[in-house]
Amino acid sequence: MRIGTARKLFVGFGLLPSVLLYAVFVVVPVFWSAYYGFMDWKGIGEARFIGFDNYVEALTHDIFWQSLGNNLIVVAASVFGQVPLALLLALLLSQGTWFQRFVRASVFMPMVLSSVVIGIIWSYIYQPQIGLLNGILSFVGLEEWKRAWLSDPSIAMWMIAIPIIWNFIGPYLIMFLAALSSIPQELNDAAAIDGATRTRRLFSITLPMIWDTIKVAIVLCISGSLKAFDLIYVMTKGGPAHATELLASYMYNNTFNVYRYGYGSAVSTLIVIISLLLIAGSQILMRRNNQ
Amino acid sequence: MSTSMPALDTGLHKTQRQNKWWRRSIRNILLGLYALVTLYPLFWMFMSAFKSNADFFANPFSLPQTWNWSNFVRAWEVSGMGKATMNSLFVTFVSLVLTLFFGALTAYIISRFEFRGRGILYSLLLLGLLIPIHSTLVPLFSMMNMMGIFDTHAALILPYTAFELPIAVFIITAYLANIPKEMEEAALVDGAGYTGIFLRLILPITLPALSTVAILGFLRFWNDFAFALVFINDPSLKTLPLSLSVFADGFTTDYSLTMAALSMASLPTIIVYLMFQEQVMKGMAAGSVKG
Amino acid sequence: MRRNWMIVLTLLIVVTMFAGCSGDKGATGIKSAEGDSIKLSLWHNFTGDDLRARTMREIISEFEAANPGIKLNVQAIPPDGYRARLKTVAAANEMPDVFIMWPGAMTKEFQGGGLIQPVDELLQANAAWKDGFLPGSFDNFTIDNKVYSAPMSLTPTSILYYNQSILDSHGVKVPQTWDELLQAVRTLKAAKVTPIALGNKAAWLAQSSILSSLADRVTGTEWFIKAAAQEGAKFTDPEFVRALELLQQLQQEGAFQEGFNSMDNTQMEMMFAHGQAAMMIDGGWALTNLTANATPDAIKQMGVTVLPAIADGKGDPNTTSGVVGVGLGLSAKTEGKVKEAAHKLIFAMSGPEAQKRTLESNQLVSYKVELDKSKVSPIFSKVYELVNDIQFTPVYDGMLTSAGADVVNNGIQELLMGGDPKAIAAKIQEAQAKSLGK
Repeated sequence: MRIGTARKLFVGFGLLPSVLLYAVFVVVPVFWSAYYGFMDWKGIGEARFIGFDNYVEALTHDIFWQSLGNNLIVVAASVFGQVPLALLLALLLSQGTWFQRFVRASVFMPMVLSSVVIGIIWSYIYQPQIGLLNGILSFVGLEEWKRAWLSDPSIAMWMIAIPIIWNFIGPYLIMFLAALSSIPQELNDAAAIDGATRTRRLFSITLPMIWDTIKVAIVLCISGSLKAFDLIYVMTKGGPAHATELLASYMYNNTFNVYRYGYGSAVSTLIVIISLLLIAGSQILMRRNNQ
Repeated sequence: MSTSMPALDTGLHKTQRQNKWWRRSIRNILLGLYALVTLYPLFWMFMSAFKSNADFFANPFSLPQTWNWSNFVRAWEVSGMGKATMNSLFVTFVSLVLTLFFGALTAYIISRFEFRGRGILYSLLLLGLLIPIHSTLVPLFSMMNMMGIFDTHAALILPYTAFELPIAVFIITAYLANIPKEMEEAALVDGAGYTGIFLRLILPITLPALSTVAILGFLRFWNDFAFALVFINDPSLKTLPLSLSVFADGFTTDYSLTMAALSMASLPTIIVYLMFQEQVMKGMAAGSVKG
Repeated sequence: MRRNWMIVLTLLIVVTMFAGCSGDKGATGIKSAEGDSIKLSLWHNFTGDDLRARTMREIISEFEAANPGIKLNVQAIPPDGYRARLKTVAAANEMPDVFIMWPGAMTKEFQGGGLIQPVDELLQANAAWKDGFLPGSFDNFTIDNKVYSAPMSLTPTSILYYNQSILDSHGVKVPQTWDELLQAVRTLKAAKVTPIALGNKAAWLAQSSILSSLADRVTGTEWFIKAAAQEGAKFTDPEFVRALELLQQLQQEGAFQEGFNSMDNTQMEMMFAHGQAAMMIDGGWALTNLTANATPDAIKQMGVTVLPAIADGKGDPNTTSGVVGVGLGLSAKTEGKVKEAAHKLIFAMSGPEAQKRTLESNQLVSYKVELDKSKVSPIFSKVYELVNDIQFTPVYDGMLTSAGADVVNNGIQELLMGGDPKAIAAKIQEAQAKSLGK
């Protein structure tokens, strides 16, 4: 406590700019938007206070629940697809040979491209007449498997989850690579000398050491999945008949196309609340697993 | 390690070594295939950029029938990409510097100092990951009007930074959690101030994490459409994504010009990505030497 | 305790922000008359490389050159983001002086919010111009007998495009009745030719291009106007359900190619342009795409007609659904000299000369102009002729509330996937009634 004042000053002045920026440009608009959620407002003219009506309407509307269900598919696909795959790739690519660097750079490439390009190319892969997927299926003689992948409501959502997983693996790969690099090499070496197998070392050294990063990755996965919008918007616009509607596209549509600003704001507030619940849940689960 | 063991050339060892060689080859082939799959969209985008619209629709997956270099010229001229690129570079660069500096500072304080409200601050920042940005458009627009920064580059830089802070703090904090504190404590004993420690110790150590944040931030700022659409009026201040969307008029989309424009716009992102990726790797190498 | 304190503080900030927002309206984005030159802001979405967008941009630059006393602040906003952009400034009550505005729902919303003012003065001052418009041109821009804009284009939304050579080679003639259409579909289908190309990813397409005309043939226009207003007719009425059934029948006969719900209309137009489908039901907007991408020979093979007649329908078969296109809206806040300048600009961009030039850039207008056929593509002049011979009926999303139209769009996608017409009709009825507060 010799340098208590310097410490306090540093903490205070160090945090000030971030806190200020964040409060003004993120926190206030969010509360503001939640407030609009209590209004019957078309985005134009008079707003009328209607209490919780918008929230009740959303929670009793089947399309809201359908969107939430679709969102949960994306969340599940990301958490159980993206994270393990990125981790596996990170473990395989942790040496710096030119080949590994090439693969690493490639895995990230879809992120570099605009989601418009990704959306269009995947639409063409799934396209029923001249699409790549159906083409391959005919080529290998599986004619009966051919399908209108994005038009069939029973599979469309899963088909869209694939490009979403594939597209966003890059950042998780990099996070895991960075985390892996912070594990002291001696730990692994020592364990290897003690005769621990690779699998054993993975579970008793590597994973515990990067557990925090995995948790961060899962939080990012959940929040990212609930905000997912761009790819859906390009590929299906949420259709056919809401089959691939996500909460974010449902919110966007209500706000900017159907002129229900208040309702859209209520939905976006619900998105935040649902994300919070999911993240809290995932953290509790992981804490238990960790023990 | 098994490979450095003195070679007792028995038959058993030979098969083991052969096995290993096979496994590695199969692994590398699979990795290589995966890399090609992820690189394909990039290739596809550049190919499509050369096609005529008719060619694009008739043969989405083949090479261009004729190489229309003029697509690039027309796309560049019609969308006014020259000025927009300069604006995008400026806005992205400034936002990135602010994000990295304040993100690292906040993460450092949160992970190394005990102070009142730390938990709340961290949770509030977590909340920022969950905000669907479309819901903040109207409140932010009204606020910027009041603050008088509407229609300036600050109207993009400040919210970009604010919305990117959570992810930056998150990644860097997680990274710092795995870094031993001894060095900082030693520096403190040597009489270095907190500012000095932050600038001379923390920033260099967290380079891999910073590079991850930089890559993600760059992509987000460079590709953002929603904020750029709403917060900028003056045509001479517009950023790239706006000029890229001029080829779709709601009824028809000029795909070849769109692809040509997107190809040109993605070049900087590819370069930046490769650059920072190198930093992530260098940081990793440094980490393993040190550790 | 500390947690509570934080919440209170945050709320406090929020409350102060609101107080600030209702009080001070000083610093706005759009300033009017200052100094000696008049400042006028204009928002449009003519950003593309197509002929019409280029023509409109030319007209604007000519206006600037001819009026040095008026300083135009022009915002060219990409069409993809135009509506969202306009909505945001509308929510904050910061409209530009002059802007592109859609007839129907959008005009009603803006008028209801007190954001726009009528342009009657301008129309009265130029009587010859006003009389030059086709009958009904102002209907969807008119509220309480006041006209809020003049249309800059005309869009028939439901035209049956056909490829003569494909029809000929399978011995099919251009269908005049619903039964002939079904017969044609069966014949073509049997010959493994896609009868009708459809791209309904953006779900408004089947609604605007197929349902609007088809339903009008069955129910008659009068019924629809009543149903849209929810006065004396309902979407659960048997005639509307029958219209939905007919549309579903078309799909069940295999009229459309597989995957139509995940293709956009550009893809569908390309299919037709490249002879991969015998027919296509699409709006006048397809012309740009067809002209630019089909070979001259292919264009020669293309013909246009109206949707076939329904035997016992109440509607007039010699019609197409159609809407007048966008017009220029005038902000309610624009006054004095700025308003005079705004009038001048509106006249320059939608007056007789501009209408003529728009028509010559392959875009139909809702204005009496003789077409010089040497200046446009042959398929365009065919549509021009067709449209001159027939009457227009309302388009569904032009008359319904935006919430109602949204449910119709999604309902049609569901219908075309085998949904129950009655259940879909009930959903449409519910949404329309609710959004009208009935």
